[in-house]
This record gives sequence, C-alpha cells and structure tokens, in this order.
Amino acid sequence: MQPCRDRREKQKGSLITGNDKGVTVAGFEYHKPHSIKEAVHLMESLDNARFIAGGTDVMVLLRQKKIAPAHLISLRNIDGFSDIGFENGLQIGGGVTLNEIVANDFMQKRYPALTDAAAMVGSRQIRNVATLSGNICNAAPSADTACPLLVLDAIVKTTGPQGNRQLPLDDFFLGEGRVDLGAGELLTGFHLPRLAMNTGSAYIKHTRRQAMDLPMVGIAARVTIKIGGNEIGCKDAFCTIDNISNILSKLEDEDLRIEEVRIAMGVVAPRPVRARKAEAALRGKVISEKLFEEIAEIAATEAQPRDSIRGEAWYRREMVKVLTKRVILKAVDRVLRPDDLIRPDRLW
Amino acid sequence: MSDWTTVGKKIAKKDAPLKVTGGALYIQDLKIPGMLYGGILYSRYAHAKILKLDTARARRLPGVTAVITAADVPNNFRFGFMKDNPPLKADRVRSTRDEIAAVAATTPEIAAAALELIEVEYEELPGIFDPLEAMQEGAPLVHEEMKSNILKIPWKLVCGDVETAKKESAYVVSDTFTTPWVTHCCLGTSGCIAVFDANTNLTMYSNTQIPSLAQNDYLDALSAFGLKNSRVRIIQCAIGGGFGSKLDTYAYEYIAILLARKTRKPVKFIFSREEEFFATSPRQCSITTISQGCDREGHLTFREMEMILDNGAYTSWGATTPSVMMMPISSLYKVPNVRYVAHCVYTNNTYCQAMRGYGNPQATFAIESSLDQLAEKAGLDPYELRLRNANEPGELTPQKFRVTSCGLKECMAEVEQRLGWKEKQGKGNGRGVGMASLIHVGGGARVYKSDGCGTIIKMDDRGRVDVMTGATEMGQGSETVIAQIVAETLGVNIDEINIINNDTDVCPWDVGAHASRSTFVAGNSALGAALKIRKQVLEAAALNMGEDQAALDIKDGVVFSTQDKEKSMTLSKVLRKAHYTPGGSMFTADYFYDPPNENFDREFKGNLSVAYAYGVHGAEVEVDRETGQIRILKYIAAHDVGRAINPLLLEGQIYGGGLMGIGYALGEKLIYEKGHLKNGNFLDYKLPTAKDVPPVEAVIVETDEQAGPFGAKGIGEPGLVPTAPAIANAIYDAVGVRIRDLPITPEKVLRALKEKAPADAGRSGI
Amino acid sequence: MKQEITFKINGEACRVEVDPTWTLLYLLREVLELTGTKEGCGYGECGACTVIVDGQAINSCLYPILEIEGRAVTTIEGLRKPDGELHPLQQAFVNKGAVQCGFCTSGMIMSAKALIDENEKPTEEAIKEGIAGNLCRCTGYVQIVDAIKTVAGRGRT
Repeated sequence: MQPCRDRREKQKGSLITGNDKGVTVAGFEYHKPHSIKEAVHLMESLDNARFIAGGTDVMVLLRQKKIAPAHLISLRNIDGFSDIGFENGLQIGGGVTLNEIVANDFMQKRYPALTDAAAMVGSRQIRNVATLSGNICNAAPSADTACPLLVLDAIVKTTGPQGNRQLPLDDFFLGEGRVDLGAGELLTGFHLPRLAMNTGSAYIKHTRRQAMDLPMVGIAARVTIKIGGNEIGCKDAFCTIDNISNILSKLEDEDLRIEEVRIAMGVVAPRPVRARKAEAALRGKVISEKLFEEIAEIAATEAQPRDSIRGEAWYRREMVKVLTKRVILKAVDRVLRPDDLIRPDRLW
Repeated sequence: MSDWTTVGKKIAKKDAPLKVTGGALYIQDLKIPGMLYGGILYSRYAHAKILKLDTARARRLPGVTAVITAADVPNNFRFGFMKDNPPLKADRVRSTRDEIAAVAATTPEIAAAALELIEVEYEELPGIFDPLEAMQEGAPLVHEEMKSNILKIPWKLVCGDVETAKKESAYVVSDTFTTPWVTHCCLGTSGCIAVFDANTNLTMYSNTQIPSLAQNDYLDALSAFGLKNSRVRIIQCAIGGGFGSKLDTYAYEYIAILLARKTRKPVKFIFSREEEFFATSPRQCSITTISQGCDREGHLTFREMEMILDNGAYTSWGATTPSVMMMPISSLYKVPNVRYVAHCVYTNNTYCQAMRGYGNPQATFAIESSLDQLAEKAGLDPYELRLRNANEPGELTPQKFRVTSCGLKECMAEVEQRLGWKEKQGKGNGRGVGMASLIHVGGGARVYKSDGCGTIIKMDDRGRVDVMTGATEMGQGSETVIAQIVAETLGVNIDEINIINNDTDVCPWDVGAHASRSTFVAGNSALGAALKIRKQVLEAAALNMGEDQAALDIKDGVVFSTQDKEKSMTLSKVLRKAHYTPGGSMFTADYFYDPPNENFDREFKGNLSVAYAYGVHGAEVEVDRETGQIRILKYIAAHDVGRAINPLLLEGQIYGGGLMGIGYALGEKLIYEKGHLKNGNFLDYKLPTAKDVPPVEAVIVETDEQAGPFGAKGIGEPGLVPTAPAIANAIYDAVGVRIRDLPITPEKVLRALKEKAPADAGRSGI
Repeated sequence: MKQEITFKINGEACRVEVDPTWTLLYLLREVLELTGTKEGCGYGECGACTVIVDGQAINSCLYPILEIEGRAVTTIEGLRKPDGELHPLQQAFVNKGAVQCGFCTSGMIMSAKALIDENEKPTEEAIKEGIAGNLCRCTGYVQIVDAIKTVAGRGRT
C-alpha cells in the first residue's frame, strides 16, 4: 500500500527485460528519505518513481508485473511521519500503520468506525506494516478504511512541489484506483475533526470468511443522537439478544432522535460513496422501524453494485439495505456505551 | 489393551521436532549443484489451434539452456491412465492448462523471461464448457479422433430390481444435486527435481504419494524416450501436503525428465501458487440425479442415481471416482435395490483427479440430503430414519461388501446426544440441527490388482530398529503410527525406531498413500515384519538365556523371563551376540501384506475392502435470515476407527478433514469462466482461516476391527465425507430451505428464503 | 546496483550485499540459506513466510530488503536455545499434534511468538486473530490453538 502519484495510466512491465542481447535486470533503485521535503524532492527529480510505504500493495503489484518503476521512494523512515496527534480532533500521520490505529485507545473510544475497519484489513502481518494512507491512496473500491474516514469527515493533507493542500476525503477520491494527487504530491496525513457529544460511529464489513477477506459490501455510519426519553431504556434495548425490530421499537418508545448522520458505502460504486439521500431522510427524525425500512431502500438506490466473482449485484444491493440499518444501530450502541458494544459484535 | 505402552497413546509425531525447527527439507528447499530451473508456457486459450510456435528468441537468451516443445517428445508419448495426455501439446490446445513449451535456465528469473520470449500464434476455436452440452449429438469434439465426448468407461452398478422396488415404495423422493471444482491447496506447492546419472539412470526428487507407481510411470516414459534399460529412483522430500494431489503423475514431471535428459543437468520445477491453482487437478465436480424410497415403516427400498462428470480435456483419476462413489450408493445404510450410472464427458475445462474422499463427498452430499427429504415425506425424524436403516456388523451389502466391525449406530447416538437433537430438531426458528453418515473403505481398497505394502526391518547392535516401509508420510502421521506398531510389538521405546520411507532404492513396494489405507495396510505389514523379527530375537535370546522361548517377553528393550524376573538380557546384547560370533547371523524380517479384499468383478461387485470405516457428523447452525449467512454453533464428528493407535494424530485427521469439509460445504469453489480460472489465489479462493473454525468435537468410537493392526481402521478421508450434507440438513431444519448446489453461499440461502416466502424473507431478525 | 546492509539475524550481526529488488524472504532462503521460512504464495496471503522484525510479525515475501537495515530479524531457526532445547512454542506444537505436513508451521510459530510476546495471556479469540493470517490445510487449526494456549499465560518467551 503506498501513497502515490496519480495512477491514471497503469503501467505493464517486467522486473526482468529479456531480449536476444541478454537479460537486463530492469529492477529499481530503493531510496530512503528522512524528511517529507526530501521525499518530495526525490519524486520530482527522478523519472518513473513511485512512493512505497508498508509495501503490501506495491510489492504485490510488482510481483504481478502490473507496475515497473525505476525508483521506489520509501516513506518508512521519515521523521514524524507516523505521529498521532490530538489537536482539533485527531491528526493521523501518513506513516501510521493499521495496527497502530487498532491499538490506539483514543481512536477506539472516539472514532471506533476507523478502528473497526483497520482491525479487519488483511492479517496481523499486513496490518503491522500497512499504512492508513496507503489503504486510501490505493483507492480500491473495497478499501475498508475509506468509508469510516468519509463518515468521520476526514480531511486529507498533502504536500508537493506546489506546496501544501487540504481537501475533504470525499473530493480526494476521483474514481476506481484514482485519487487527487498531482505530480510529486504526497499524502502526509489525515485530520479528523472533533466530534460532537453523543456521537458514535461504526463500520460493518460483509465478508465470506472471518478473516483475510475483502468486503462484499462495507458500510460505515456516524450518528449524533438525542434521547427524549430514558437513556437506560435505550441501553436495555440493546441488552437483549433480540431482533432488530424489537430494538427499533424500544428506541422509538424512548424517542431517540438522530440529530446528525453520515453514511458511507464501499464496493457498491467505483469509489466509496456517501448515501446522502438516506442521510437526509434520517436527519432530525426519531428512530422507528418504518423509518429504517425507508432509509434502507433509499440507501440501496444510491448504490450501483456490480456483478463480480466476489459477489452478485442483487445480493450486494440487498446487503446495503440490511447493513445500513445494522451499522446505524451499532453506531447508536457506541454512543450509549463507548467502551464496548452492549450488543455483541458478532450479532451484527 | 490397558497394558499397551505405545499403541493407544497420544504420542508426538516423529517428524514434528524437525518441522518445528525449520529443518525439514521440502522440494522447495532442495538444491543440487549445477541445477537448472524450469518453466512452462501454458495455453492462452481454452480451445485453439497452434498456428505458429517460435522458440528462437527464447533459446538465444543468455542463461537459457534448453527450450522444448511437443516436437521434442519422442514416440507420441502420452501419460494418464487413458493415455490421452501428451506432456507438451502440439497443433491444438484443449484447455487453459495445456502445456505448450518449456524452458530450462540458470535462474528462475531467466526461465520466466524466456517464457515471455516464446512467440505463439493461435487460431481460437469455439470451446465447450458444459458437460450436458458436450454430451449432445453433434457437439464439437474435444478430441477429434474420438467419435463422442462421452468416455467409454462403463460405470454401471445394478443390485436387485429398482423398478419394482420403486413401484412398491410407500414414499419416494427425487432431486438433483451439484458439486463444484475445489482444490487441495497444499501449502507446499508441487515440484520435482529430475537428475540423470552418467548411465542415464534417473533420480526424481519428488512429492509423490505413490512412489512405486510413479516409478513405473517414469520407467514407461523413459522407455518411450528411448531409454529402455534405465533405472528410476524416487527420493521423496518432506511433503507439504497431499490430500490426493500427488496421486497421479503430472505433465511437469515428464517435462522435467525431458529437460534433464536434454541438458544433462538436474532440472527443478516448483509451481508458483497461481500454477498450483490452475495447473494441478482439482476434485471431480458432479451433477447427480437421485431417487430414494422407503416403505411405510421407513425401511429403505431403493436408491437410484445418475451422475454426469465433467472430465475436462484429458483424463486422470477423476474419471474413476464413480468406482468409489458406488460404495456409499450401494452400502450406506441397508438398501436392497440399487442402480447407478455415471458418464464422464470431455470438455475444454480443467481435468480432475484424486482429492480426499475420491468421489465419496460428492455422492454422500446427494444421498444424505435426499435422505432427509425422504424422512420429511415419510413423516419421520431424520435421526430415526437413519437408525432404522443403519448398517450392522456382519452384513453383506448389495455390492458384496462384507461389513465386519461397524460402529455406525454408536456414532449416530453420539451425535444425537451431543447435539441435543431431541430438544433442537424441528423448531424452524432460524436455528436447526442436521446429521449425515458416511461409509468409507477402512481396510485398504483393491482398486488396482494389488493392495499390498511391504516392510523390511533390520536391527543394529544397540538394539535400535530400522523399519523400511513402502508407506508415504505426507503429514498424516503414517510414519509415527508404524513406529508405534513396531515399538509395541517389539517391546522397545518408540525413540529406538527409525522409519525409512522415502527412497525407492531402499523401501519396499507399496501401491500408494490413498484410500485411507496407510494405518491398516502399512500398519499390518509393519506388524507382520515386527512379529517375524521378534521371533528371531526371542529364539536367539532363548538360546543365550537358557530359557524356553514361550516364557520370554520384551519390555523397554530388555528381554526377560516371565518365570524369573532376574533372568534378563538387553536387546543390544542379543544383537551383539548374534553379530560377534564366528559364523554369526543378523536379524532382518520382511513382510508383504496384501489385504484379503477383492477386485470388483465385471459388475463392479466384490469386497473392495477388508473393513469399512463409518461415521456420523452433526451440525447445529444458525441462519441469519437477512443476509443468508450461516453460523455453525456446534459441530460433532463421530468416527468409528476400529482402534485409535494414536488419538492425538487421529483427532488431527478429524479436525483437519472436518474443516476441509466445512470449506467444501460453505465457501470453496474454483470459479471458471469459459475455461479460464478467475480465482486462482488465496484471496478469492475461500480457504478457511483460524477464525472460521466452529466449536467442534471429535468423537472417537472404537469397535476393535479384528483384521486391523491392534484393531485399527482408516481415518484419512472420512473426516470430510458427510460434512456438506450435515450442514445442508441443518440449514433445512433451521429455515426450511434446501440448497442443492455446493458451496452453500449466503446468496443461495437468501435467494431460496426469498423464493420460499417473499413476505417473510428479509424481515428483521436473527 | 547492490548495496550493503547491516542487521541482526537471530541475535547475530549480519552484513551482506543485497540487490534492492530482493525481498526479505529471498535473502533468507536463497542467500542466507535459512530455508525454514517458506514461500506459500508470494503475495502475503498465506503467512507461510512470517518472520519477526523488531518484535512484529510480518510477511517476509512482501518486505523490501533495504528496510531491514538496522533492524532485528528472528526466524524459526532462531527460536531454539543454544543448547538445542526447543522453545516452549516449538515444544507445545510437537506435544499437541499441531504439526502435520509442517509447511505452515514455521510461519505459524512465528506469528504465535509475536502474539504472546505482545500479549502474555491471549484469549482463544485473540489467538485465532493472531494466527488468522496463517493458512493451514492439514490441521483444521484446533490443535494449533491448543498448543498456543498451553504456552499463553506462562509469561514472555
């Protein structure tokens, strides 16, 4: 996985170039800059160069001969690149690995959608080196961390020959495998704004097996709630191993209102998308089963899933309906009990 | 039994210490001086003519020592039991795994580059990928020289009178079941090193499970290649997984031999993971129509099955799976009237060979799913129906199998009780239970004219024992079990036993590690040899000790008199006395055990095995009605094993087989589109991970099989035979939908739920 | 262009010339001839190549060789005590039947070691999570988890 230049052209190549005259090890030079400035400078001055962070995407692409860079610019040795800061919310450096995110108590409590997602990418071995920025820059439609960052209103920070930029993550994704990074530009980190009180978030990844899997559908939600009635009643609603219908009606009884909401869906479009219409229909309303059925249907219309060997379109659309409900409720659960889910994770 | 010191104990595998320290040498790890690396160019199309094949540029690449094509394969050599498979294809390719050319180079990178330089011009031809289409009159022929795509293998079994039985049945069910291609996914990929000596004798460093038979195959090849008087030696490295994948010989091995001959250097092939997925042969897929019936009391009256098997472009053991499928069809439960027909059909798909179970899982999926359907129709509890028809010791089945030990009823009872069947069955509230039984060969299997295995034992001065066995160790533990049997018989500590099992120059003949036969056949062979050498030892000791042989016993390497404990002599002393005496002697013993089972007669009847392994699996599942996902809450695997010679290893086979079966039931499938493999990698081929393991109980039922070594029967394959139907039956119990096509994916379950009750399905709920 | 790197391998200092295109797996197997670490797929999808770098389990098939500079690598060969005694995890794998064909074993043990070194008393769930990136086709994982459980709770290894 690597923060990268604009990859509009997919290069085909081979590590070895063979011809009648002999074998040229096309290979690459590997550079290890110690500052962002150095990294940007290298990218500017070298021809056919590529950034590499954890390497779990780039090394695979190299082996598959889908890319043939002459230079790899490593981001693993840049001072301060893996910093995590708490000014104005949350600042995550470009070199922060997925396991560092999973292990971070503050993120688990305040931004759990992100830790949910980070914990489910690949395997422990992958997460030990793979970076959040790499997962985003690779821009696969199935990138798990994309939807949580979207619902958390993440801002992307970049730096390049033209200077520094900041832009909302939603504007950063341009399409499948494409992000808004210009020549020589590097993603240096993310800023996640401070969240209001009574805000919770969650991510649900729908997979075929329990580990080492890409999502068939992935949905993240963030909600800010206001309870008209009794908070205990709401917590009780989640306590029973009960079906969602009953949970919803109990929450309706307690007049639980969704003051603010974000919903983002992955794998149902070339890039992760916000379900804005569903959000609008939910915003400011009191929870109820009927409302949730409507929201689910609306969200499904905002998804354009494809048939692929990884899943059928009709099924993905159905899962958008099912998971939209579940992820919002899971996010509500998080508000009610930030330390741990009341309703066990496996039931979602 | 209770005074056994080694048999029946949980003893660590003998090769485990080497493996946990990274010291075991797999084919991947082996290097031979001067070795070249091989690479194979595969066809780009599933069906095409090769108009032009130009290897000139590849040959000129520095570091490339040889490039070969079909033109370099002498005498139109073909391998495979139907002899329809040339190691390099000329003129025409019939599948995307067809080998067109091969190179040998000084490094793997140069070999890969050379392959890129080979120029091929194809004329793509329409391919045929559906066996049902391929069977039709006028369908394009996969092999032009044959008149039809249907192979002339007469798989047909008739017992009794099915037509009459059908008419007289009170209840009859019929349905169709399908199973996909799945693959072994051995963690160690395939590979070999071929080396010729100065006199054109061949040594193959190999992963094979069938050393003696492979030796034969290579000798045939060498003969065709013009080397009639060559010898072949096979040295097996540590095998990184078998499961049947190494039960046949592959094109790459013959290619390695050809390249080694041409270059006069050792040539190594190692499959990449991608090659392992698309260029090895998967489990036979199947389309089965089945009818079963019973009388008013629930006694089975008939079973009728017809199968269509996609044979792919060339023929390997997949085409012989019906010979094993007949076993559950005729002998799982008491069914007096049976009819079975199977057709193997050429297509432009991949071709199949042996995979753990060898057709039994496919057949049992149909039989046991159908049985639950019959139970429902007859208004009977599925457990009751099974119990009523369970096989029993002493039975003669319609296929003429003589059932000796049989713990089927005990296994059923274990599952019924441990699942809590009575309380949980029939609720239909999203949770359900299901069970399925299995029969498999447990006392060898006479699939060839021989079912034999040889053992040679010798002892050294220290009283240590060398056991040369024909049995292959591929991780299942045959080496340790054999050591236990010899240790127990000879009265020595298992650490004194050294097993040699990987060199055909030294090891005696064996027909192969298949049909779960190693414990039974190799075990009996080792037992026979051990008894012989024990006799020699006791005879010599009796002389030395001035005691009656009948009064002597051996324990912890010491021969002692049971009459007078003071009188004793260490084994090493006995041995040294034998060696260090003028005109001395040595102790060796050999024993070839060929079980008293039978080949099938012309009607495919006969006692295939000396003993049969039985078992029952039960599953409790929870179905998420909104997503169609299945969660296994509890899984019980009860197996009648005769005797657990090593419960630790036996449980390993049950857990390992069980999870492989769960993968088969719920997620694994090789996805081919028009002959091209789409998911040949570990991301998209859903092998179960550690997090996918459900709570599982392995239950060992011992029925003491008289013919088995210390009462043991086989266990290698049974572990995954009934998993799919047990789970499918549990899902039906839970939500009333029956999935008849493996794997049982969430999509299929959800779609079935929606079709069943459009108003109900999708409602919020667990 | 080859470069020289210095790092620690199984406690010993190592200086070697490497080609920047090499992976750590290539260096281990082909150059240092430590063949205990296996290649199962080459894509980071099976875990057979797992080794520990600076205390973290990583897939050596995806690890660019120049990143090993100055770091400490532990492979399966480095677990045994100098007198030959097996590491508790190795012994537990032997005793509990956690080894069948053995191809996944090196990577599996390294993942387990990294897990226990970080979390002395992992729950069964944490153990499964810790080895989720290591595929095994032979054992069904049950005895592997058992083996790791016997070592878990004994303290740092």
